[in-house]
Amino acid sequence: MEFSSAQKLCLHLISSAYQRCRLSDQICRLAVGLTRSSSSDPSLQISISDTGIGSSLEEFQDLKVSFTNVAENWDGMLSIKTTSISDSEIHNYQINLKESGSSRITRLPSDTKNGAIFSGSEVCLSSSFVNPDLLLADIHSLLEKLLILNNPNIAIQLVSEDYDVPESRYEKVFLANTSEQSPISASSLEKMQSGLKDYVLKHGNNLSSICNSCFTSWEELKVGSGVACCTVNRLHTEVVMEAVIVISNMSIQNTTCFREYGNKTEVLYFKDFSPCAMPQISMKALKSIDWKRYGLHLGGIVELDGIALLEWENLSTDTHIDIVLHSYLKQYPALDRSFFALNFSTVIPAPRKMSQLDRSLLKKAVKLSLDDLKDKHSGDFLSSRAVQIRNHAPDLAQTIAGLIMSSSDFDFQRECFSLLGLQSQDVGTEIMENSIKEKIVSVIEMNDKESDKSKEIAPFLFEEEDHIQELEVEFQESDYSPLDLDMDMF
Amino acid sequence: MERKRMKSESQSENAILLTKIKEFTRSLLVNLINGNSPIILIDRFRNHCTLPDSNCFCGSDLPFGKEVLTLCKETHVHRLDVMLRVLLIVQKLLQENKHSSKRDIYYMHPSVFLDQSVVDRAINDICVLMQCSRHNLNVVSAGNGLVMGWIRFVEGKKIFDCISSPNTSHPIPVYVEDIKDIISVAHYILVVEKESVFQRLANDQFCNANCCIVISGRGYPDIPTRRFLRLLVDSLHIPAYCLVDCDPYGFDILTTYRFGSMQMAYDTKHLRVPEIHWLGAFPSDSERYFVPKQCLLPLTAEDKRKIEAMLHRCYLQREVPQWRLELKMMLQKGVKFEIEALSVHTLSFLTESYIPSKIHCKVKI
Repeated sequence: MEFSSAQKLCLHLISSAYQRCRLSDQICRLAVGLTRSSSSDPSLQISISDTGIGSSLEEFQDLKVSFTNVAENWDGMLSIKTTSISDSEIHNYQINLKESGSSRITRLPSDTKNGAIFSGSEVCLSSSFVNPDLLLADIHSLLEKLLILNNPNIAIQLVSEDYDVPESRYEKVFLANTSEQSPISASSLEKMQSGLKDYVLKHGNNLSSICNSCFTSWEELKVGSGVACCTVNRLHTEVVMEAVIVISNMSIQNTTCFREYGNKTEVLYFKDFSPCAMPQISMKALKSIDWKRYGLHLGGIVELDGIALLEWENLSTDTHIDIVLHSYLKQYPALDRSFFALNFSTVIPAPRKMSQLDRSLLKKAVKLSLDDLKDKHSGDFLSSRAVQIRNHAPDLAQTIAGLIMSSSDFDFQRECFSLLGLQSQDVGTEIMENSIKEKIVSVIEMNDKESDKSKEIAPFLFEEEDHIQELEVEFQESDYSPLDLDMDMF
Repeated sequence: MERKRMKSESQSENAILLTKIKEFTRSLLVNLINGNSPIILIDRFRNHCTLPDSNCFCGSDLPFGKEVLTLCKETHVHRLDVMLRVLLIVQKLLQENKHSSKRDIYYMHPSVFLDQSVVDRAINDICVLMQCSRHNLNVVSAGNGLVMGWIRFVEGKKIFDCISSPNTSHPIPVYVEDIKDIISVAHYILVVEKESVFQRLANDQFCNANCCIVISGRGYPDIPTRRFLRLLVDSLHIPAYCLVDCDPYGFDILTTYRFGSMQMAYDTKHLRVPEIHWLGAFPSDSERYFVPKQCLLPLTAEDKRKIEAMLHRCYLQREVPQWRLELKMMLQKGVKFEIEALSVHTLSFLTESYIPSKIHCKVKI
């Protein structure tokens, strides 16, 4: 893994620390410190410490730097302290990322743990050419995104301080959302769902609490989620793609709460519990989703520094769509050295097939979350076709009510009233019309859902079956909507 | 348009139809209340097909399929919207014993109906659903047909006394079902395609010399004209002859009298006149009656297409193969001519020679 700047390296190190916390079954703390003394020494001390499982040195072995910018004339030194729960001492290392071969790692004398049982790591580096403000902003943005995974076991602290400038200390704690009662045993999708809601309500986790001027409650958000997974038999593992979509309405009068990308949707993409740039194939997959079936019109996808931005047509100005996608292997072996080294690298399917699988899983997961949204808020996600049909509902209702009300047969009128559950004939035409209109609209909405289900079969039969067989995989689906015809297919 | 209906039997027909409309409304409502999309099945009818083998059922008057309207397609929903609006108007007409024209209905919601043909289809749909004819809905078209000759009849309270001056044209009444007391001494009915020919015959006092009834639908015949002709043929039991231009439109009008139109195929058994004979003008008449060359117009490409399409109609081969041969000859000769072309030598040729000789010598098919 090669890094073109110290910033990017730092972000990766923070991500790794997060993984070590995630894999621990204990409650963990991850602390990031950026400190300096601007008057005496211009260099910035960066320390990333965590109480997760200890680090294997392998994760540092692949790290390389290729800084071309002269300003980033960094010495390439990382100092690492790490200990696992079973270790009796704390190991100290120094790694020079600019060198290669065995000379890269220098083992320093260990510290004793004095019989205490704990695990954790600390990675430190110092750089004189990193812009502390930009780095702080980047770390901030990373931690805000990590919060979407909403792991309640991990508390993250970010501290930045210039010892020579009084009151320069900045400190922020990033905690998982606890305002929604999500049990620790909640699935990663459930966690991510409340994580994204929180992210939206806090304007991209920029705020420490819900923006009260934009949102009054959690219930305002429309949330849909879906999981597609696929068991790769040869690997004894499962490729999972989770998707959560949140639709929010925010008054545009609130100019203070502006959105970085306006009405566009930044697709937040996670790979194996780390935020990362979205692969091209996934963007293509997003583009090929039949958004119109849900009344959404995708104008196009813009790529901006690895960030995928979806542009919508006909989206009302106060509506915003947030999407998070998370692709991971269920028994992710990143830090399990033996599995990673022996099995994974040798048996992993060819990247082409893997990316095809990713593509179909992504499409499936997004589609399931759209279906989920439609199930919960049917009126809002009707296909363009159904919206057109629904436009006729008032006229149809008016005419049917007219046929009843203008009939000279009063027994017939009374019968129709009682069929509609209306008590007396005094209620009038308008009430009858509304009652019939509701019935028509609900039939149209139900037809729309049913037509989705029946259409789902086709693409899986002909488009994606081939490579699934090649990979010897079993398709499984888990999602929150109980009825899914696809399940019968496999 | 309000008028008192005299027959009590039409009152009871109205009541039956009103009951059917209520049943239809109720079934719509019950479906919606149960959360089901109403499924409206509309029988499809045709008066002919173009299948090469003649083993079709077009002559049987049975539906050959069904159209299914649901709330799943926008075009269906629009069609249903129009149909229900027309049905509401029809229900009011029947309840109030009033009549209305298709055009009146169109102008009640022109922005929804968009086009007269949309209303026409809705009326047809309702007729198929309610298994009735258009006049049962109290929907009438403005009368377009003309009649003269040796006939006298009463429509409602109005007496059509054609006999007293047989060469004066009378409009064909719109409420054909109200016609009664038909008295006639005519020997045959002559149907002419065009008003110009009808006026020629009137000018030449044709009915003085020939004891007959002359009818013109003025182009494609409307429903009252066809029902009136059918009524006369049924009640007078005299032959009917049809005189049309020798061109594809004349031939198509001829088949409309005899076999009905595709659009009204569901009601064709009440509208067609299978007894009608083709008197002329045949393509072969141009030689027999020395039509000058300058009066023979070449068939246009569209004419040829129309003829070729008509040649495929199953009923021609099955019921009137001779008509088909003449039509084929028209295509082979590549020319057409109007009835008036026969009169280039003498103005009164039609009245004095052509028609009497054809009828006398039975030159008709």
